[in-house]
Amino acid sequence: MDQNLEKIKLEYLSKINSVKTATELESLRIEISGRNGKINQLFSEIKNVPPENRKQFGADLNQLKTELEKKLLSKSKNVSKEKIRNSTLDIRNSTFSLKKVGHLHPITQTERQLNEVFRKLGFSVYSSPEIVTDEFNFERLNVPQDHPARDMQDSIYIKEPEYLLRTQTSTIESYLLAQKAKELPIRAAFAGATFRNEKVNRSNHFVFHQYQAVVVDKNITMKDLIGTMDLMFKTLYGDDVVVRYRCKYYPEVEPGVGPDMQCFNCHGKGCPLCKYAGWIEMGGSGMIHPKVLQAAGIDPNIWSGFAFGMGLDRWTMAQKNIKDIRTLMGGNLAYKPNEK
Amino acid sequence: MKLIYSELKKFLPDLNVKPQQLRDDLTMIGHFTNYFEEIDGEIVFDLDIKVNRGDCLGYYGLAKDLAVLYDIPLKNLSVETHHDASLTTLPITVTTDKVKRIMALKISDLKNSTSPNWLQKFIKLHGTKPINTLVDLTNYIMYLYGIPVHAFDTAKSTDNLIWEINSHFDKFTTLDGTKFSLNKNILMVNNSQKALSLSFWGGEACAIENTTTDTIIEIAVYDRATVRQNSRWLKATTEAGIRLEKDLDPDLIPEALNHLVKLILENCGGQINSQLFDYYPQKVQLPQIELNLDKPSQVSGINIPKDFIIDCLTKLGCTFLTNIQHPASNILITPPTTRKDITQMEDLVEEVVRFWGYNKIPTNQPLAKKDVADITPPENYLIDQLKDKLVQLGYDEVLTWPLVTESINPKTVIKTQNSINSEAIYLRQSLIPSLQQQLDQYSRYKLTNCQFFEIGKVFSKEGDKYIEKNSLCISSYQNWKLMDDVEKIFNKKFSIFNSEKYLNQLFVEIILDDLPKPEKYIPQTTVNTAYELTSQIITLDANITLDKQEEPETLINKYSDIIGNQYLWEIVITDIYHDTKTDKFRYTFRVSYFNTDDKTAKELHLKSFGLK
Repeated sequence: MDQNLEKIKLEYLSKINSVKTATELESLRIEISGRNGKINQLFSEIKNVPPENRKQFGADLNQLKTELEKKLLSKSKNVSKEKIRNSTLDIRNSTFSLKKVGHLHPITQTERQLNEVFRKLGFSVYSSPEIVTDEFNFERLNVPQDHPARDMQDSIYIKEPEYLLRTQTSTIESYLLAQKAKELPIRAAFAGATFRNEKVNRSNHFVFHQYQAVVVDKNITMKDLIGTMDLMFKTLYGDDVVVRYRCKYYPEVEPGVGPDMQCFNCHGKGCPLCKYAGWIEMGGSGMIHPKVLQAAGIDPNIWSGFAFGMGLDRWTMAQKNIKDIRTLMGGNLAYKPNEK
Repeated sequence: MKLIYSELKKFLPDLNVKPQQLRDDLTMIGHFTNYFEEIDGEIVFDLDIKVNRGDCLGYYGLAKDLAVLYDIPLKNLSVETHHDASLTTLPITVTTDKVKRIMALKISDLKNSTSPNWLQKFIKLHGTKPINTLVDLTNYIMYLYGIPVHAFDTAKSTDNLIWEINSHFDKFTTLDGTKFSLNKNILMVNNSQKALSLSFWGGEACAIENTTTDTIIEIAVYDRATVRQNSRWLKATTEAGIRLEKDLDPDLIPEALNHLVKLILENCGGQINSQLFDYYPQKVQLPQIELNLDKPSQVSGINIPKDFIIDCLTKLGCTFLTNIQHPASNILITPPTTRKDITQMEDLVEEVVRFWGYNKIPTNQPLAKKDVADITPPENYLIDQLKDKLVQLGYDEVLTWPLVTESINPKTVIKTQNSINSEAIYLRQSLIPSLQQQLDQYSRYKLTNCQFFEIGKVFSKEGDKYIEKNSLCISSYQNWKLMDDVEKIFNKKFSIFNSEKYLNQLFVEIILDDLPKPEKYIPQTTVNTAYELTSQIITLDANITLDKQEEPETLINKYSDIIGNQYLWEIVITDIYHDTKTDKFRYTFRVSYFNTDDKTAKELHLKSFGLK
């Protein structure tokens, strides 16, 4: 440590040791760590340190700060407590704020809300790698080479054509079915980052999040699927939410089901947000395609299942009224320091 | 795809539903219809057609679906063309197996000119520029039947057309003047002298003009993968290409060609001047699918009568290979040739259910609870547990891009091959640089006193193996707190990283994979508000003097309420001074405002503290 800083450290450690009361300690804390205290004064002097020594000086200063603050903390547990209002202390420089509260990211919040719904129905929360093979991302999901559905997903390759970043959470489904084919029935939900070669703008990102749920059991029906999805919508958006379930194509399911939520902005009348459709597409789902089950070694004559996936970002944005998808992974997403 | 209501009614004369109803019905049976609008006196719908329904990239395919849905007749607009066997045979050669079917015919002595108004209007409503009658009619037929059509000016192309994988022409210019270098093996129509046309884009060398009098019109279906590959190589997308990349029906070509011939003769005059050329080396083999008549009910979970199933499949054009008067539980079916998407029983089930109505499936009967084996990986429990602990300790969770601009260790970094974002090409090896970037952004918004964390994957390469690990990174401006918190959570110390850029901010990064995991952990489901900052935080100070000392927390709450939630970010008392001479107390407030401008913030600030 810088010699001068070492000297300061020893001086203050000695002072902290000799403190007897809380008021004395608070005075000393302000002298060391207060807004105009010694530490901040030293930080403001960094600009005068030669550039080649600046990094080391910063590290030393942080070490000094850490040691003194830790010492202050441990000392505070051993001195008698007095309330400021009863003291005659000149309380200059005292800083008061409400307790700093931590926050979960909105994506995590939505994910947990969904997980809670599914846990109650007996689902596990699964996960799998983000770097995947073509086999698990496409082939096992009934998307062979040159299938037009591959155009729907412009992949980011690590080593073309074999390794890529997963383009959808259905890839987690492929891993799940392969790994648990002998442990049926399965109920699992999972969220994850997915990657596609999209230009970043207000509506699209090359990294986005999806949520998916998968069931494989005997006698699973579309009624189970639609009822479960509706439960999920109501949990997230309230009982008044209006959702329609329509025919939709995804290669990994048959029949396919597309849930659309009535636009929360225009209530179905049509507006720029819903592209004048009155409805917002909320994901894709359907009965797991027999070829997908077969690829995992599961007999589709015995077992059936459903899967649904949704854009977690869009769900979160709708719930939190966030207008720009970039906000979710950027420094303009923030939380009020004291607001839960 | 655009769909003009009045044109659709030509196929469905009995269609009589309001546009809004038609929009919703099309969507429910799988043809998502964004909106409809009135343009130039016509109701025009905007649809997204599913990638497996190439047949619906034309009015005819959609009309077939609607005829089943509304139980109304479908009108055939085509008229059988009379072919004269005494006419000459076209000297067309096909040297590639990428052609599934070509039908071609020569028409001579026609008078081409500007298109009639109805045709121009149709073409414009589909977002295309009218050229002349002959060209516009080829496009009209493409939009009606979903199969691209091409016309060659035989004065330029000659009749000697060759379908081949190009090997000798190195340049090609399209109808609109776009130039391509043909450095790959592209499926083309050429003659011995010139490159004439791509499979999905006509060429300038044989373009139809107003002066054209003799033409060969052709409709072809190709190996879709070849067309898709060619358009990708050339980075070219056309309406024809979009259709030819799908599984189109070669058996629809005669109907489309007959309709086209009828329209050309009506609008341009002329006469048929060749025998019909029909190259169809391998007829479509239709699948035979066994359908259990109980299956639609079993899959949907609701009762769908067998009579409805038979009726629906009949209207769709399926052929029954077993007696349907007294059907057994299983029947054998061949789907219509247009429906390339129907290949197995589940496809037939979807057909039945979508016409029975997805909206008849109840929405209030979710899956019943069932105890099945918990297969949650233990690291998921650890991650949830850590997030909760950190939030309780006052840290905010952030998410950053897993793709980053710089590598830390070039030997082990994983690089993407084709990331569209040319800056973010590496998979991150550590979360620390990402959190430093987060601080950069916070600085821009003048957010101070940041303490936050991220749990995410970090990546590396060992030989041919790609390694992914779960990592936790925490950053704080309070050194002692960070160290204390980390020790509290993990019962051990970890190295602290000093940022060169943010000297007063520390980071700690911990790889989670090797840490002990909880057997089970059910996380808290909390809902808190996150804000999208649109402008910098504005910080203003205010002094107020009170006759008696007040609890700082009481004052903070009081002024928070006065300022209101809309613009208040944070309020802090930075100084309390007791003037012993006057026995008065001076409180200094520091208030941060968000998502507002300087002027509004200042006005609100002065008003709230009674300083105005």
